[in-house]
Amino acid sequence: MDTNSIYQVYFNCKWKIKEEVYSFISKIVSQDSPIAKEEVIHQLNERDKIGSTLIAEHVVLPHIESDQLKKSQILFIRLANPIVSWDSQSKNICLVIVILLKKNESVNIKKRISLYIRSLADEEYLNRLLESHEEEDFMEKIIEF
Amino acid sequence: MKIVGVAACTVGIAHTYIAQEKLENAGKKAGHEIHIETQGTIGTENELTQQQIAEADIVILATDVKIAGRERFDGKRIIQVTTEIAVKSPNKLIEKAAEVVSQKN
Repeated sequence: MDTNSIYQVYFNCKWKIKEEVYSFISKIVSQDSPIAKEEVIHQLNERDKIGSTLIAEHVVLPHIESDQLKKSQILFIRLANPIVSWDSQSKNICLVIVILLKKNESVNIKKRISLYIRSLADEEYLNRLLESHEEEDFMEKIIEF
Repeated sequence: MKIVGVAACTVGIAHTYIAQEKLENAGKKAGHEIHIETQGTIGTENELTQQQIAEADIVILATDVKIAGRERFDGKRIIQVTTEIAVKSPNKLIEKAAEVVSQKN
């Protein structure tokens, strides 16, 4: 997948708890700035306090808007094994879709992201993503929406 | 039954749009006419018209934040929930709306 693409896929990830996932997200987006890493993790956790990010069985959608982000992205993190307890409400999480919105992003990019987000309301589409066990197949499913 | 509503979440990029899609799909599946306005990071989209609001039997506000133009619904029957409820249980929410409307009649 093009590294400049708004969509980035991380397949077969072997983390066991939410904190490991958030740590990974902060590392890949904050470009080695310790302050940015902490801020991204803080914002993800603050969003979690407001309410569950579970959008369907086995799928969570953490999301933030931050001035610490250099670009807006949608990350797909396909876990090798389900995270048994993501939080008190969300169990056996297999797929983490992360929305990272850069502060003051252009309306054009926001519209692209919101268009994709709407597709996540389709449970059949989410099931197709969950059932994709090969990275190439998974990427094709993302593109097909 | 005619339903209007607004979806708005805190960041305004995720639950707002999933809630809108899920409510509209659930409403249409149940045979209702439904229009959900979104107030998200892009601003207001699918803005409700005065006629849509006037003709609505019920209003569903799936919101986590204060919305713009809430006074448009003054005097209407309103169901207020979080976006989380709309995302997780859209069909039940539409059933509840139908129940409220039938009790009113």
